Amino acid sequence: MARGDADFVEFARAASARLTHAAFLMTGDHHQAEDAAQTALVRTYASWSRIHDDDAYGYARRTLVNHLVDGWRRPMREYPTDEVPEQRREDVADDVATRRWLIAILGALSPRERAIVILRYYFDLPEAQVARELSVSVGTVKSTSSRALEKLRSATPRMADEEARR
Amino acid sequence: MSELERLRHAMRATERPDAVLDLASVMREGRRLRTRRRVAGAGAATLATGLAAVVVVVAVGASGPGAPAPTERPPPVAVAPPSVGVSPMAEKSLKSTPPPTVRNDEPLPKPLGQLVDSGVRHGTERRVYYFVPVSVPGEPKVSIGLAAGRQAPGGPLTTDILVNDVEGSDRSAGFHQIGYDEGSAPAPVPTFGYFVGPAKRIIGTVDGRQVDARVARWSFDKQVVIFWFDPVHLTPGERLDGIVARDGGGRRL
Repeated sequence: MARGDADFVEFARAASARLTHAAFLMTGDHHQAEDAAQTALVRTYASWSRIHDDDAYGYARRTLVNHLVDGWRRPMREYPTDEVPEQRREDVADDVATRRWLIAILGALSPRERAIVILRYYFDLPEAQVARELSVSVGTVKSTSSRALEKLRSATPRMADEEARR
Repeated sequence: MSELERLRHAMRATERPDAVLDLASVMREGRRLRTRRRVAGAGAATLATGLAAVVVVVAVGASGPGAPAPTERPPPVAVAPPSVGVSPMAEKSLKSTPPPTVRNDEPLPKPLGQLVDSGVRHGTERRVYYFVPVSVPGEPKVSIGLAAGRQAPGGPLTTDILVNDVEGSDRSAGFHQIGYDEGSAPAPVPTFGYFVGPAKRIIGTVDGRQVDARVARWSFDKQVVIFWFDPVHLTPGERLDGIVARDGGGRRL
């Protein structure tokens, strides 16, 4: 294996879980998430000779998010909310509840809001960088984040009531 | 725990560190993509050369003897490469072609049919849309591209963005490439594109808001509907989340 390929494999092994999870947060679907992460890594590998000394992870993340945002533009897709979580023996109830809450809460957001929330609060990127990666203004990031958080706040009590009724 | 902290915690707590992707397949696809990009690069160079050769004649014909000298700003030529991913559907419509490739030595191809006046003004210039001939190697059914330009009083035309299909047919029914402002033109370019079919209305969606495009039929082929979004209602460069076309009866096409 060429040295560049070995570097890529090392990078991909380290980055794939986080990219896949980010894609899951954006789509709510494990299969779509894996497809999207795979697509991002394919494009990253295709450009590897030019980016591997720079910010390969940033390149892969930008590719992933823009691929998913573009994918939502046509056709518009529903955000699945009936995802069956992976079952693990320990803490299954907590895990299920957390995942269900997360999926429902993110599903209440528009694709753009979801992308901004995930870049800001999952990848912990500053607003200016989120704006650059999504090709929008910082003002749009601020206002969209604010709107998204407002939705989260208003959705949470409603969901807590639903949980309590279960 | 605040809602934001709970959200952050939940996003991390649900990570699956054991997620494994097929890296052999990733690298195989990546190599194919790299090859396609190289081929596309060669194709783009061929196209640019072709346009340059054609336009020398066109520029004379368009300007005419004694006409004002070509504008200082060179007309960029955007040549979209082939779809570069494993999800062609996501690549197809709402994504603009890549930022224009600016060529300093390239005159303007002669517009096909009449210019469409958008009603948008940039100082004394008017924003216009028009089709120009293009040729993409190996794609005989792609012969037109839609340009956004500015026309000064007296006639000189400056192209800001040109978008064109890079595969299939440029007259296939439905939406084609969408042109977005890339910040490279001196004046913002309102989002534009074309639809083939009996559309009376084109409606874009952004942030859950619906925005009606303005539409005009192409003088050369009435099946082709040129549309653009008023910059007052859709900020140039802002990406659409969705777009639909409706016929005179309000039916979605």
